[in-house]
Amino acid sequence: MVHSGGVVNVQRHRLPNGLRIAVAPISGLRSVATLLAVEAGQWFEPAGRPGIARLCAQAMLRGTTKRDAKSWADALDAIGAAARLDVGSHAATFSAQSLAADVGELLTLMAEAVVTPAFAPKEVELVRQQTVAQLEEDSRNTRAVAERVWRELVYPAAHPFHARPIGDPAVVRAATADELRAYHLRAIRPDGAVLVVAGGIEAKRLFDEAERAFAGWSAHGPREPRSASSVSLGGTVRRIEIVPDKTQSDVVLGWPGLPRTDPRFVAARVTNMVFAADTFASRAGHVVRDELGLAYYVFSTIGTSRGQSPWTVRMGVNPINVERAVSVTLDELRKIVGGKVSEDDLELAQDKLVGELDVARESPGGVASLMLEGEVFELGPDHVERYPRELRAVTLDQVIETARTFLPPERHALAIAGPPLPVAD
Amino acid sequence: MHALEARHAPVVSLWVWYQVGGRNEVPGTTGMSHFLEHMLFKGTPAHPKGDLDKLLARYGALWNAFTSEDVTCYFETVPKERYPVALELEADRMRNALISPEETEAERTVIVSEREGLENDPSFLLGEQLQRIAFSRHTYGQGVIGSKEEIKLMTRDGLYAHYRRHYAPNNAYFIVAGDAPASELLDRAAAAFGPLEAEAPAEPPKAPEPPQFGEKRVIVRRAGGALPILQIGYHAPCASDPRAPALSMLAVALAGATAGGGETASGRSSRLYRALVDTGLATAVDASFQLMKDPYLFVVEAHLRSGVTHEQVERVILDELARTARDPLSDDEFARTRRQMLSASAFMTDTITWRAFRFGQLLATGAASSLAEWYDRLAAVTAEEIRAAADAVFQEKSRVVGWFTPEAS
Repeated sequence: MVHSGGVVNVQRHRLPNGLRIAVAPISGLRSVATLLAVEAGQWFEPAGRPGIARLCAQAMLRGTTKRDAKSWADALDAIGAAARLDVGSHAATFSAQSLAADVGELLTLMAEAVVTPAFAPKEVELVRQQTVAQLEEDSRNTRAVAERVWRELVYPAAHPFHARPIGDPAVVRAATADELRAYHLRAIRPDGAVLVVAGGIEAKRLFDEAERAFAGWSAHGPREPRSASSVSLGGTVRRIEIVPDKTQSDVVLGWPGLPRTDPRFVAARVTNMVFAADTFASRAGHVVRDELGLAYYVFSTIGTSRGQSPWTVRMGVNPINVERAVSVTLDELRKIVGGKVSEDDLELAQDKLVGELDVARESPGGVASLMLEGEVFELGPDHVERYPRELRAVTLDQVIETARTFLPPERHALAIAGPPLPVAD
Repeated sequence: MHALEARHAPVVSLWVWYQVGGRNEVPGTTGMSHFLEHMLFKGTPAHPKGDLDKLLARYGALWNAFTSEDVTCYFETVPKERYPVALELEADRMRNALISPEETEAERTVIVSEREGLENDPSFLLGEQLQRIAFSRHTYGQGVIGSKEEIKLMTRDGLYAHYRRHYAPNNAYFIVAGDAPASELLDRAAAAFGPLEAEAPAEPPKAPEPPQFGEKRVIVRRAGGALPILQIGYHAPCASDPRAPALSMLAVALAGATAGGGETASGRSSRLYRALVDTGLATAVDASFQLMKDPYLFVVEAHLRSGVTHEQVERVILDELARTARDPLSDDEFARTRRQMLSASAFMTDTITWRAFRFGQLLATGAASSLAEWYDRLAAVTAEEIRAAADAVFQEKSRVVGWFTPEAS
């Protein structure tokens, strides 16, 4: 139970097939947030086949061996659940909100899609064509283009993060139903997967429903180890890609990050907040938007995976202001690297990160999200309670050291997509 | 002032809904309410610029503001022990915002940047044109963010006069939801806002939209999008109209409770998803009926696949709309629609922030006087009422059609 001033009471269970389940009952709610995260994100994709993970996930929503796509969609909408399936750098995450009374049916439908997808050729073809169309659309989307270019600048071609999760157009066009089936058999497995649930449900009932729904899910063979060569930037790389008929440039400035399991990750998250994560609590965000009025949006994120996910600052800027916005952002970073960062900066960042954890408890989805990272990366049964203390324990020296190690201002990758930039005098 | 108890988490969410938005503007000042919204973050004598930002950031608050055609709204969701501080900040900026000339200049470029970001999106470009031609008299045709030229011309004095006229306790709804007895939440709010002076009420320009007597069309040809987009709008009743719940259900029947396409798994049993996405004509489709103070638009939007023509998709959509106007939904279809609608209501109210938002939206638009009333009205809608609402709204005469056509770069 979640209670005022207290903690999230997480109860856990593990099925014989390895699926780990964590539930946080919250009294007084009618609904339940359910997250099923399978280790089938980009990190686990076959080398050189970017886009297979997302195609597989999308095809899993297009019919099972028990129901065709239409019947499955009818059943999901019949319980009024809001559901989606996203592929990120680490996991394929099936997320849903349903009424508590319907959680059994929801888990049945999730399990059917995840465990027994049909991969009917016409459905795979529909998914492929939809993805091709999205890639076409993205070719004129400045945010998508900037992200694509940035990844190409930073990660070598065979690296799992070289392409966006939507993948490479050539791979998407060539993928077959057999390839998706083979990937599914290998990657969509219960060992390593977690089911996280929060909301108006008793733990025992949830465990029973999950056992019934997922008991037939089994892993085929040992998991293939996945690794990628270490990535670092030898200097500054930048590329401008012109996207026609646009008013604003989208900018991605960044570095390869660090694995979530790296002991320095919590310090990295605090460093990220000190630097640019927020418009108001972070130095670069404050200067770029609030002081100089150069951008409507500016923020940084640090990805969570077992590899070096992107650590990037993103902003939308008029072409005449791009160079200045990038320059002042790097100036703020140089100050941090140079030790010109105050205890007040650190305290503000820590207050914000810890305070957000409290506020997230306002919704079942927020509680489930709080739990998910600890469960996926096996950060310990007391992670939710320990994590705020870990954030508070980060020191100024650690922030400076983290910035020096992972965010060297003189070695960054910069991607700009939009109108041509003005020629310098 | 209204309070809702929500005791499942130690959080309070407070919202101030000012009855001023794009509808209150006239040509030459479009975007003024939105510009003013930005200026409310730029300090008061008691809380200089940066004070509010840092205080709320330190609390881990979820906080923001938005401007619509009807309202300007500010909210903070904070740990419950911070409620008094958040209240004090909102009460302070209701009457004491500085809106200095220097900050006005600094923020102008941010707002231009916001507009330029929107201009990068072909769906926005088309929607703006569709809204413009749909309304010949009503100020809804102006949208919210304003033209770039008028944003550049906005004066500090104009903004300040707009602020003093509209930002007063007698022109706002205050909604709070959170982890305390409702009486305690209200008492604290009354203590914060009670001493503030009322203003003479300022009415928006009265320009009712006359009936439309024939379809209107607009085509936007730009290189900024790769695939065609189709938007079809119909003049539709306001939020207080008895048909509003049925029209909300109709939108769900047509395209689900969450927009279809991409990674979304729900809403795929809806009529337009089946007719357009399952058949490979479109990548995504959405239908929306917004709760608005005055009659607005029921809008269907489809993102077409490459090689598919606007004519093809328009024909399919019009056939489906005609079908909903002709025949009631089947029992299964109606049951799915109803369940999605009612579940979505429960999901929203299980989050403290959205519970407060929804209540404020119902009050500010005149849709209902409580969450329970709106829920009961949705629950009481019949399949025949959905059909009748479709028949009343989906009329060729009151239709507005927009095409976004990609151009070669």
